[in-house]
Amino acid sequence: MSPRWAPSKGTGGKGAGVEGGEGAGSGDGDRLVTARPLPGRRRLLARHPLARFLLRRTATAILLALGVTLVTFVLTNLVPGDPAAANLGQRAIGDPAIVAQFRHHYGLDKPLPVQYVTYLGNLLHGDLGESQQSHQSVLTDLSTAVPATLELAGAAIVVSLIVGVAFGVVAALHRDRLTDQLLRVISLLGVSVPTFWLALLAFYIFFYRLGWAPGSGRLDPGMTAPPHVTGLYTVDAALAGQWPVFWSAVGHLALPALVLTAYTVGLLTRFTRSAVLEVLNQDYVRAARAKGLPARTVLFQYVLRAALVPVITVAGLAFGALLSGTVLVESIFAWPGLGAYAYRSATTLDLPAVMGVGLVVGLVYLTVNLAVDVLYGVIDPRVRVQ
Amino acid sequence: MPRFTAGSYPVALPLVAVAALALSACSGGTSASGSSAGKTLVVDTSFNLKTADPGREFEPTGQIVDKALYETLLSFKGSDVTKPVPGLASSYEHSADGKTLTLHLRAGAKFADGSAVTADDVVFSLNRVIALKGNPSFLLDGVTVTKTDASTVTLTSKKANPALPFILPNPALGILSAKTVQAHGGSATSTDGAEKYLNTASAGSGPYTLTSFNTNTQVVLTKNPKYTGSDKPTYDKIVLRNVQAPTQKLNVQRGDSQIALDLTSDQVSGLGGGLKVDSGASSDVIFLLLNRNTKVSSTTANAKFAEAVRKGIDYKSLLSLAGTGSVQPAGIIPSTFLGALPASEATGRDLAGAKAALQASGIAKPSVTLGYASDLTVDGLSLQTLAERVQAQLKEVGITVTLAPAPTTTELDNYRNGKEQLGLWYWGPDYPDPSDYLTFLPGNLVGLRAGWKAGADPTLTALGDKAATTIGDDTRKTLYEQIQTKMNTDGPFIPLMQPSRNTVSAASVTGVAYNPVWTIDVAALGTK
Repeated sequence: MSPRWAPSKGTGGKGAGVEGGEGAGSGDGDRLVTARPLPGRRRLLARHPLARFLLRRTATAILLALGVTLVTFVLTNLVPGDPAAANLGQRAIGDPAIVAQFRHHYGLDKPLPVQYVTYLGNLLHGDLGESQQSHQSVLTDLSTAVPATLELAGAAIVVSLIVGVAFGVVAALHRDRLTDQLLRVISLLGVSVPTFWLALLAFYIFFYRLGWAPGSGRLDPGMTAPPHVTGLYTVDAALAGQWPVFWSAVGHLALPALVLTAYTVGLLTRFTRSAVLEVLNQDYVRAARAKGLPARTVLFQYVLRAALVPVITVAGLAFGALLSGTVLVESIFAWPGLGAYAYRSATTLDLPAVMGVGLVVGLVYLTVNLAVDVLYGVIDPRVRVQ
Repeated sequence: MPRFTAGSYPVALPLVAVAALALSACSGGTSASGSSAGKTLVVDTSFNLKTADPGREFEPTGQIVDKALYETLLSFKGSDVTKPVPGLASSYEHSADGKTLTLHLRAGAKFADGSAVTADDVVFSLNRVIALKGNPSFLLDGVTVTKTDASTVTLTSKKANPALPFILPNPALGILSAKTVQAHGGSATSTDGAEKYLNTASAGSGPYTLTSFNTNTQVVLTKNPKYTGSDKPTYDKIVLRNVQAPTQKLNVQRGDSQIALDLTSDQVSGLGGGLKVDSGASSDVIFLLLNRNTKVSSTTANAKFAEAVRKGIDYKSLLSLAGTGSVQPAGIIPSTFLGALPASEATGRDLAGAKAALQASGIAKPSVTLGYASDLTVDGLSLQTLAERVQAQLKEVGITVTLAPAPTTTELDNYRNGKEQLGLWYWGPDYPDPSDYLTFLPGNLVGLRAGWKAGADPTLTALGDKAATTIGDDTRKTLYEQIQTKMNTDGPFIPLMQPSRNTVSAASVTGVAYNPVWTIDVAALGTK
């Protein structure tokens, strides 16, 4: 399929959906080129609107990330509480020398603006500070917590997308029939049932009652984690050829990931259904069918493609939410992810860790939003970057 | 408009993928049960863990870990914390003035790397704890450590220190190989940089060595084949996992773990399935604090008002919240420690007496605020639940209590700065000796948190000073009983309860014993 469709070259229904999209962007570039030769880099950007778009969004993302650090820093320092009191023992807190050493070690004896500027300076060198809870660098902590959650949320979103979109399409194609009603009830249940409750129930039934699922954690007890490459145990174990570890990791991943899919599948089913129904009534779909195109071609190349845009938006937001909000599921399955780390950091006023988590979550949302915006263009030429 | 039929599209594919994922779960389940068999022991607990470095740790999970990795000069046997027993020191002598403790090291003791444990290692390790100014440094406040000869070490205290033999078993005072620690950036100064190393490997002579350590997930310990202690460990490997209580219960029931440490009384009731439950009173004492500082509250500072509160509490009703095993301590010292008041002296509810005391206080319609950490649970008992019960009970006396819940981090500030009118807190023992509780006296750490300033009660202060420096269990016991009896009538603290604590273990595990210092000694566990 050609990535650039011009209405004049289009055929039937395809052309109808892409009028005026690409032409404007490439036309601007062409005009600039013919009017005056540009320096190499600018010419490159002018010819590649996607590169220009990515560059602009990256610059914005850096500014937003800076904003995230500032907001997180201010908010955590507004909390009425003393990190020394929260982290030192009941005896140690009574010794001024120990308290002074604690404050000095974590830079808490400096004025707040100095603390913030120091943090930013260290951040430029990739230093996120030292966690008061784990006594190691926040970066090290995050390098295990983030992949753990990423593995969980990644598996959940992949399964959700496959199942949710399939359910949504089937429901739309069987509108108001029994299958549709059934899938709507399932999706309603998915979005209504509290995830933590479902997690407890699933763990109880599939682990305790039936013994189908392994126990809590990411691996079987006593099993050594695979050599750290990505931090995703399934991937790392496969890379190292440690198949028993791989299967253990997949087994431990399955149940919590499936629990997390319940809500997202429900959400995606509903969105896909309504989006597909809307597209099914479009003229170009009717025209494609009138031309006698096979139903499969019409569904995948005309209907689903157009319907996926809102679905991708929801999926992006859901993925962001999965990455930053799985604390309860992580707690039930003893999954050492970002949610558990964030909770522990917040409840102990572990400022460097809270800042690190805030930054990661901010970056996750920025990245997911950027990916979603780029995917819009890939999926639907009407919304390509102009 | 004609409908598309789903049958022609490969929608079954994703369902197959989900089924495959579920199937893989089944295979994982099989391997889990297989790997926990044999000589591996899995212990589930809710982690409170920051480091494995003995000089820096003072958290419950850290104590379990370091107890297995490092030997201390003295130790305790099982649950009995009233009598120190030999550890790395085979014997000791305490001078008559209580200032000098001489310890003779066990011959032939070796670190896991095979090198001998020397007096120099002991001096280095203990001086390191002092120099680091960390959470456990206070254990050796005012103590000087010197080497007398190759196998003798002398600990000299500025003041008489009868508690020292009870302090030395603390795992934070574990003995490290000076040579190994120094080779990895360690020193007995504040610039010590060995923590990172000690979180990846151990440098002790304990029954286990450190295989892996993560403060969020799990700690794995492997049997030390060169352990020279008398009781060799049974299990080849110990896996300590960070798991929350509800999941701990299912894990131990299913056999995925062999020990669960944090189940509440409700959770252990009706467990069955061949599991063993060891229940008893925790050493944590939950107490009510009435601030004596009139600037904070003239109401709580009123002695008669304090009496009304003391008599107005229904202690038995509070115990029902904590379940089987919980007890009401008669004083601030836990019921199992030397110097604890007999249960017969515990305060009971006297509603008429409470109302009379309130009238005598001269305060009409008293209203006070109760500060507590609403997210804090003590041995599974939520302070929120307890605060609500106290509020209801005092209402019957005629006292209006306004609950002021706050996150622990926020409320700790109020408590430690003496800003609470009424406060609901607990004290966990730093070491199992009554002298740890002198901190509740006027002018001392916790006393000040209740606005009980130095000089507020000269009699109690004198008794406390005497108890702190007296040698001899019988005399000490009498002194601490006197202190508590007086505190129960004149002090700003009302001991409410020691909640229950439960250790659940598989039928195959033997030797489970709760210890208030290190919770459980995994090296002492055996198998049938």
